Amino acid sequence: MNEPARPAGRRAGTGRLAEHPLVTAMVSSRGIGPAVPALVYLVVFMVIPFGLLFSFAFLTVDRGEVVPWSFSLEHFGSALGDYLFWRIAWRSFWVGALSTLVCLLLAYPVAYLYTTLGSVARKLLLVAVIAPLLTSALVRVYAWIVILGGRRGLMNTVLLELGLVDRPVRILNTDWSVLIGMTQIHLPFMILPLIAVLVARDVEIENASLNLGAGRIRTFFRVTLPLSVPGIVAGTALVFALSYTNFIIPQLLGGGNYTTLAVQVYEFVVVILDWTKGAVRASLLLASCFVFVLLIVWAGRVATRWTEARLS
Amino acid sequence: MSEGRRARARRYPRSPAEWVAGAILYALAGISLLLLIGPSLIVIGISFTEKLYISFPPEGFTFRWYEEFLDHDQLIDSAFVSLRIALWVTALTLALGIASAFSLVRGRYRGRTALSAFMISPQMLPGMVIGIAVLFFGSAFGFYQSNPMVIIAMTVFCLPFVVRIVMARLEVLDPSIEEASANLGASRTQTFLRVTLPMILPAALAAAAFAFIEAFDNLTVALFTASPRGRPLSVELYTLVQFDSSPIVAAISSLEILLALLMVFVIGRTIGLEKI
Repeated sequence: MNEPARPAGRRAGTGRLAEHPLVTAMVSSRGIGPAVPALVYLVVFMVIPFGLLFSFAFLTVDRGEVVPWSFSLEHFGSALGDYLFWRIAWRSFWVGALSTLVCLLLAYPVAYLYTTLGSVARKLLLVAVIAPLLTSALVRVYAWIVILGGRRGLMNTVLLELGLVDRPVRILNTDWSVLIGMTQIHLPFMILPLIAVLVARDVEIENASLNLGAGRIRTFFRVTLPLSVPGIVAGTALVFALSYTNFIIPQLLGGGNYTTLAVQVYEFVVVILDWTKGAVRASLLLASCFVFVLLIVWAGRVATRWTEARLS
Repeated sequence: MSEGRRARARRYPRSPAEWVAGAILYALAGISLLLLIGPSLIVIGISFTEKLYISFPPEGFTFRWYEEFLDHDQLIDSAFVSLRIALWVTALTLALGIASAFSLVRGRYRGRTALSAFMISPQMLPGMVIGIAVLFFGSAFGFYQSNPMVIIAMTVFCLPFVVRIVMARLEVLDPSIEEASANLGASRTQTFLRVTLPMILPAALAAAAFAFIEAFDNLTVALFTASPRGRPLSVELYTLVQFDSSPIVAAISSLEILLALLMVFVIGRTIGLEKI
C-alpha cells in the first residue's frame, strides 16, 4: 500500500484495456465525443421519424406504402375545413385547460404547506406525490373506473348511503369522469415544480411584509404568489401538454365515443389505418400544443413584468 | 431545493378572514392528498375481494385474483415481455445518457447548452407521437411493429430522465476529489473508474429505476409500436380494462403499485426524492 504510485493500471485492477488511448481519451474528454452516440440516436430515431410524420401529412399513404409524388395540402385543408374537427379540437382544449386549472388550484396548497412541514413529514408527502407519478397511468385510470363506475361503484355507494341522491348517478363516461381522471393523474406534475420554487423562495421577504403590517392574505397575493410564477408556468405548461395530448383517459373514462384530437390520432393510426389523416391530426395536435405552451410561458412573463412594475 | 428553510410566520394573531383562508388552504390540500393516495388504496382493497366483479366495499379476503394472474399464461408472458423491454431500455438509456451527461456538464465546446436542451426535448413530446413517428419511420424501411421497435421508441422517451438526473449529480460533484486522485498518481481511467463512477453511482441507480419503471409501465408508446403477438403487459392490460370487469386487473394493478413504491424507495435511498 505504501509503495509509490505506479501508472500501470493493473494494480487498480482495471487491466490493460483501461490504459488504451481511446479509453483515456473518452474518459477525459472535454469535447462533444461522449454525447455523439446519444445525439446520433436521437437524430435517427426522433428527428428523422418526426420529419417523416410531418411529411406523411402531405402525402398519400396506402396501406403503409407511401404513394410517390403525391404531395398536396388537401389533407390539411380537409381537416381544417371540417366542422367536426373544430368541435373535437375545442373539446380537447377546454378539457385540457380546465383540468390544468383545477390541478393548479389543488396542487398549490399542497406545495405551500410542504414548505411549512418538518423533514419527516416532507418525506412522507413526497412519497405520496411521487408514488402515483411512478404508477402506470393505466392503473390510475382503472382506479377511477372502479370508483366512478356502475351502480355498485364506490361513488354511488357513498352517495346513496349519505342520502345525497336517491338513485345511482352516472358519472363514468361523461365530461366529469374525464376531467376528474385528468386532474388526478396529472396532479404530481403540478405539485413538484411548485414545491421546487416555493422551497427555494426567501421566506424573509414574507416576514418583512408581515412585519410591515400587511396581513397574511395580502402577503400571499403580493409576495408569495408572484415569487412562485416560474413554478406555476412550468407546472401549467407541463400539465396542459400532458392533458391535451392524452388519449387513454378520454378513451377509458369517457366511454367509447368521447373523441378528442388525441383520441382521433389513435383511431386513425391504429383502428382505421388511415395514416395520412392520423399524421395530419398528430401534426396539428403537436403544433397547437406547442403554441399553447408558448402562450403559457408568455403569460408568465407578462405576469412577472406586471408585478415588477407595480413594485417599483 | 433541499436547503430550503421552514417557512414560519406565526407571530401575529389571525384575523377571521385569515382563518377562513387557512381553512380553505388545508381543505384543498386535504382533497389533493385524498386524490393522490385514495385511488391506489381502493384498488388494493378491491384486489382482495371475494366477489366475481368489481364492487364496493370489497367483501371477504382472498388471494384468488393474484393466483389467477399467476396462472394466466398470456398475462405472465406479457409481463416478461415488459420486463425484457424495460431492461433493454434501461441499459440503452444508461449507456447513452450517462456518456452524454458527462459531455454536457464537463464539455467545453460551443452549442453545449443547445445540445442539452435537445437531449432533454423528448420529454416535451407526447409518448403517443413518439410511438407513431417511430412506427412510420420503421414502416418506411419495411420494419413492422415488434418488440425491438418498442425498445427503440421507448429509449427516445426515457433518455431525458437519465440525462437530467445524471447531469444534476455531475453538476454538484466536487472536482477537487478527482484532482486529488490524479495528484496521487492515478491515471485518468483509474480516477474515472474508482472515483468518478462511484460518485455518480447513486444518480445512475436512481436514473435506472426511473427509466425502468417508465419503460415497464408505458402504454402510450407501446400501443403504437408493439406487435399484436407477444404484447407487453401494459397493452394487454389496456384491453383487459376495457373488456373485463373481474378483479384480476385490480390484482395486477396492486402489484404495479408495489413496484412503483419499490422504485420510490430506490430513488429515495440514492439521490433523495427532493431531486426528482
